[in-house]
Amino acid sequence: MPAPTTTEGYEERIAALEAKLQVLEASVEQAEARRSWDWKDWLERYGLILAWIAIILVLGFFKPAQMFAWNSYASMLGSNAMVVVLTLALIIPLTTGDFDLSVASVMGLSSMLIAVLNVKMGYPIGGAIIIALVAGAVIGAINAFFILYFGVFSLIVTLGTGYFINGLILWVSNSGTIAGVSMDLVHAVILTRFLGIPIGFYYALILTVVLWYVFQHTALGRRMLFVGRGREVARLSGVNVNRVRAGALIASSVMAAFAGVLYTGMRGTADPSSALAFLLPAFAAAFLGSTAIYPGRFNAPGAFVAVFVLSTGIMGLNFLGVDSFVQNLFYGGGLVIAVAISQLIRGRKPMA
Amino acid sequence: MKTLLTTALAAGALAATALTGPAFADVEKAKALIEKYSKLPSFEAPGPAFDAKACMADKKMFVIPLTNANPFNAAISQGFVDAAEIVGFELRDWETQMDPAGWIQGINTAVAEGYDLIDLQGGLPPEFVQPQIMEARNAGTKVTATHNWDATTQAIPDFMDSAANTDYVTVGEIIAAWAIAQTDGNVNALVLGPDEITPTAPLRDAILTYLKANCPDCKATYINVPVTEWATKGQPAVQNALLADPTINYVLPVYDSMAQFIVPAIQIAGSDAKIVSYNGTPFVLDMMRDGDIVEMNVGESLGWVGMAGTDANMRLLCGLDPVTKLNTPAYIFTDANVETAGNPATFNDGYGDVHIEGFKKLWGIE
Repeated sequence: MPAPTTTEGYEERIAALEAKLQVLEASVEQAEARRSWDWKDWLERYGLILAWIAIILVLGFFKPAQMFAWNSYASMLGSNAMVVVLTLALIIPLTTGDFDLSVASVMGLSSMLIAVLNVKMGYPIGGAIIIALVAGAVIGAINAFFILYFGVFSLIVTLGTGYFINGLILWVSNSGTIAGVSMDLVHAVILTRFLGIPIGFYYALILTVVLWYVFQHTALGRRMLFVGRGREVARLSGVNVNRVRAGALIASSVMAAFAGVLYTGMRGTADPSSALAFLLPAFAAAFLGSTAIYPGRFNAPGAFVAVFVLSTGIMGLNFLGVDSFVQNLFYGGGLVIAVAISQLIRGRKPMA
Repeated sequence: MKTLLTTALAAGALAATALTGPAFADVEKAKALIEKYSKLPSFEAPGPAFDAKACMADKKMFVIPLTNANPFNAAISQGFVDAAEIVGFELRDWETQMDPAGWIQGINTAVAEGYDLIDLQGGLPPEFVQPQIMEARNAGTKVTATHNWDATTQAIPDFMDSAANTDYVTVGEIIAAWAIAQTDGNVNALVLGPDEITPTAPLRDAILTYLKANCPDCKATYINVPVTEWATKGQPAVQNALLADPTINYVLPVYDSMAQFIVPAIQIAGSDAKIVSYNGTPFVLDMMRDGDIVEMNVGESLGWVGMAGTDANMRLLCGLDPVTKLNTPAYIFTDANVETAGNPATFNDGYGDVHIEGFKKLWGIE
């Protein structure tokens, strides 16, 4: 699929397309506004938040002292920062129609690189973080190269690169866990608090707002959505599809590398394998989040809420002292049921 | 009158105590146990001396670790390799990546190449490869396991020729005793372990039983967290348990590698709880040296484990009385002696090296 080689008139065509789209959206909004308040639409948008409140109330009925304590939420918000960032990393390429299964591996590699550079090789922590983020960008570029140049399905390429990266992690770490990463990083992630919440949470919050703005209020965000919804249509409309997809894959890997920075900062330690376990929770949150706030689209505020809905449930189950397997039932079952209900409300239209 | 009343009350209290039994923790007993295992390990021969060179002259051994990508297993394998070099027999350390296909391939290779003994080392669950073990034994190869089962509470299955087991019960008791001694019998412990791993049961039960038997006022809660979910579930489980009960003063994971997920949980929950655990894993000893949350760690020299495993295997091959318990002693690391483990720490430093001379003498090599 060759990209348009000339940029002549490109920006004009895009601008015209966006103008048309805005007119179209405005007319739809007006039509919607003319109709009476649509409870289905409202329920779809905010159902997840209602579910969140319901979970808090139901579990709070059994364990009020813990479920209604600010400290519980402050801790929960602070300890899930890297899951939010990893979920945001996923939704960028998901929006442009690509799966990135290597994000958790990139998170692990970034975490381990920081530990190796800082602890074993004596690099200052700032330099180590920058190298880890650059490594993320390089992996994103490699993913993009194989997906776009060779036209291989993103699922296969990122599955392969993820596995390759796992090998790299074992190699650079000599298969061991490394402790003793600079306390400056630990202070910058969990030991400093604002309103009782470890500061790592606010990094995740800021990234969520940035991504929300880019997706909802910039031309770039709209182009990404075009590409995800229909590559051929986007290409014929003059969007540089390859550039948008490559950018999304690189941004995804850099974001995943940043999740690795937070993961190392949370523990002061890096190990070769544990980061991989976050791939499934991140996918679960990305898909659950796509049913809320801007239903039918992978969106940052939805993903943000989804991470915390799931972890609130887990927290409540922990307080109730239920067995570990119940958490799996909650995570897996809750995800499928929530997405199914959302589809039911939308009249079983296929998800984007 | 007042004196009379006081005496009567005291007598009543005494009678009540006599009826219900003492409600005090046995802190002295706990301290004695700690003292015993704080001393540098000494070598106790696992059996009578024998001429290892002569008996191993025409024999070769095949070791399959759980995975080579784990420094714990790599360190035990190194002990086997060192022992084989000292005695002078052929030993092959098979490369695996925690995959049953690799283990099976290892067993088949050992049988095809005529090895006399296969040792499934460091937690490789023999149950997973039972058909291959049966095949190997039918072909005349002996099959054993080192550092997998508990020496007292778990039986060696019939499908194995033998096994060199670890005294996990004592390790669990040391961990519980430490918490009792440090708190004067006011332990509120959160015990964690992955139930799917073979040694978890004896370690977990030893900790819980020792606390119950020696400290009536101590509290303990157990949470099962599978290894693959330490990061995703372990940390929230500990964090939420600490939020639910802020009086928890000890977190006792049965394996110290879990500490990396428990330290942030303790920090985020704003708890003062300490971590006490088992394995002497180098990065956890580094965490002990550099921080205040990991307070004590029970370790064992893994080079010693490998040599003791070799000793047990040679006895099996040479038709001597079987040795089913590794003679590797547990050893307590705290801030006071953690420097001896190296900086960064290793799996073998800090324990002394009496075992090398001990085994050489036992095997008739000088």
